[in-house]
Amino acid sequence: MMGNKILEVKDLEVKFPVRSKLLASKEEKFKIVIEKVSFSIMEGETFGVVGETGSGKSTIAKTLVGINYPSAGEIYLMGRKINFNKKSDLIFLRRNVGIIFQDPVGSLNPKLRIFDIILEGLNFEEKYTKEEKRDKVYAVAKKVGLNESKLFSYPSELSGGEKQRVSLARAIISPKKILILDEPTSSLDVSIQAQILNLLQNLKEELNLTYIFITHDFNVIKYMCDRLGVLYYGRMLEISEVKDAYENPLHPYTKDLMNANITIEGNSGFESETELGEPARNGCIYLNSCRFKMDICNRDPPMIELNSRLVKCWLYDKSQKEDYIKVKGSN
Amino acid sequence: MINLPRDISHEKNLSEIILEVENLRVSIETIDKRVEVLRGVNLKLKRGEVTAIVGESGSGKTTLAQAIIGVLDTPPVFIESGEIFFDGIKIFPSNEKINFRGQGINMVFQEPLVSLNPVYTIRKQLEESIEVQGLHMKKKEIEEELSKILSDLMIRDVDRVLNSYPHQLSGGMRQRVAIAMAMIQRPKLLILDEPTTGLDLIVQRKIIQLLLKLKKEFGTTLLIITHDLAVAANMADRMYVMYAGKIVESGTKDQVIKDPLHPYSKMLRDSVPSGYKDSGPLRVTEGNPPDISHLPSGCAFHPRCPLAMEICRKEEPTKKVIEDREVLCWLYDGKQNT
Ligand SMILES: Nc1ncnc2c1ncn2[C@@H]1O[C@H](COP(=O)(O)OP(=O)(O)OP(=O)(O)O)[C@@H](O)[C@H]1O
Ligand SMILES: Nc1ncnc2c1ncn2[C@@H]1O[C@H](COP(=O)(O)OP(=O)(O)OP(=O)(O)O)[C@@H](O)[C@H]1O
Ligand code: SF4
Ligand SMILES: [Mg+2]
Ligand SMILES: [Mg+2]
Repeated sequence: MMGNKILEVKDLEVKFPVRSKLLASKEEKFKIVIEKVSFSIMEGETFGVVGETGSGKSTIAKTLVGINYPSAGEIYLMGRKINFNKKSDLIFLRRNVGIIFQDPVGSLNPKLRIFDIILEGLNFEEKYTKEEKRDKVYAVAKKVGLNESKLFSYPSELSGGEKQRVSLARAIISPKKILILDEPTSSLDVSIQAQILNLLQNLKEELNLTYIFITHDFNVIKYMCDRLGVLYYGRMLEISEVKDAYENPLHPYTKDLMNANITIEGNSGFESETELGEPARNGCIYLNSCRFKMDICNRDPPMIELNSRLVKCWLYDKSQKEDYIKVKGSN
Repeated sequence: MINLPRDISHEKNLSEIILEVENLRVSIETIDKRVEVLRGVNLKLKRGEVTAIVGESGSGKTTLAQAIIGVLDTPPVFIESGEIFFDGIKIFPSNEKINFRGQGINMVFQEPLVSLNPVYTIRKQLEESIEVQGLHMKKKEIEEELSKILSDLMIRDVDRVLNSYPHQLSGGMRQRVAIAMAMIQRPKLLILDEPTTGLDLIVQRKIIQLLLKLKKEFGTTLLIITHDLAVAANMADRMYVMYAGKIVESGTKDQVIKDPLHPYSKMLRDSVPSGYKDSGPLRVTEGNPPDISHLPSGCAFHPRCPLAMEICRKEEPTKKVIEDREVLCWLYDGKQNT
């Protein structure tokens, strides 16, 4: 069941320093990777974040566990505003928000045995005795379907699916409210992906978790999530219920994505007209690729609320109503 | 470079079959052991069709493609036995070292950077691909040919792309350039190893459309290697499903996807989510992909197979032909064509 707002992100901005090759330039330059992104997560839901390579999905994920620091904006976890410069706030964040990193190989220390890798997840919990810790590792290994015999192997001896189970075990060995899953299955074969998706659904029920599910696979998002946010070059362009997004996508970019998605039903009969252009420097970020662009699109559109959905596009501005009707008809 | 003569008809008649692989066995030999990677593979590609080989990581898809075009990593990988015919000519085993790359068979590798040389501009590499054909085109004709192929591939800023080095291009653009380079030699058969893997959705869709368009325009036969069932479903006429170095099922795309015979093909299809959240768990069994150096006895799929019987643990299944399809599974024993 979906409950209260458990996490709120307001106008998040994340930037990274850009190294200049010119020694002369003293001032530090930054590249803004996440720009004014806002969204809320409801307790118990699975919120999907989709977007193409480099759109900033992992950056958001890492910010939500305090690995990246925001350069502007606010993050509230269970009503508490997180001050990223305060150690106690960061601990509060990391205690409650777990993460499975995108790269299952790189995120497991190759020199540690699986047992010790899973134990890393208890870093913030010093109160346990050695025996209690051991019991916890065995219990969580069982929960994620990891064979006990693997606990004393090294990561290189495990299959991709087993490595993902280890990441999962490490993330949930201490109880979490929110689990961020950054492409948890994209390096896996489909039959193993299916096992992990089933496991994730079961764990969520069992442990009352809230998921933030990051992927670029639209069939997976559709199957796993309640709502989704569409990210494009660091901007959130649409937030909708999954069903709405699939059956009636609002943003031109979401429409293009849905058109491009292929399924095993073999649906690619029609031509996709989109030719992705560069992101626009001024105005709507999707301007150079958009099939529906208008004059007003040279100004950055606001996030517009429409029947409890959010869309960052001028087509849905009330003053553009005629165009909106036209677009709806043509989908 | 020697290209195959264009219309030959010795040994096997110039038929609708452009490529035939018969009982191909490939092994990897190290000091202490020999592991079979391809365990008797048969393949028949029809001229002008798109054939897809699907299967999970490590099943031997890339090895099969490398064996066909003769670029196996030898040693340690080598062909133990089997025959390969291309366009009516036996290309393996063969006494002459035939170079049939170019107008014969061409391949776009799994990682497009492998197909491209990092130190030359795209223009230089494409020009070279044309020159290799020995067609002695004039500078202007070459230029026209390049523009044509690139615009066919929906590359708009042709000049920028031509003057770039591979690392300056996006993944999708690199993949298009690699395809352009392969197509420019007008091969009869183009093998593409994971042509869309790792590309963004819209780009992936573009590449699929493009390949189908090229196939139509030039009548090129395509062999697509992929682990993505949706890609196969949207491109292929025929499909082969590989598991642990064997073809376990083949048939038309619709047969294999909509009405799979082999339990592994069924599992593959059921693994791909298609519904919304409330559509119930995915129907897969537990278990891991096989380790080719320690294959299970009998049918290699039996430890994961929900329908495994006693015999499956003991004996390897033999090929069963059912109507116009083939399947390697004991369930169909006694049900095959007579
Ligand atoms: N630590 C960093 N320093 C500098 N730039 C970074 C850093 N981390 C990410 N970036 C840049 O930020 C952008 C967003 O990267 P991010 O990894 O968040 O994308 P993503 O949506 O997760 O992509 P993918 O689908 O490929 O995982 C990219 O342009 C990336 O190069
Ligand atoms: N040069 C090599 N040396 C050692 N082992 C090899 C070599 N080439 C391939 N193999 C092994 O042969 C098996 C088949 O590999 P292959 O690359 O053909 O699989 P694939 O089906 O293409 O997998 P993927 O989907 O991951 O690309 C694998 O177990 C691989 O580790
Ligand atoms: S704001 Fe304009 S350019 Fe941007 S997506 Fe909407 S219609 Fe297209
Ligand atoms: Mg990422
Ligand atoms: Mg491969």
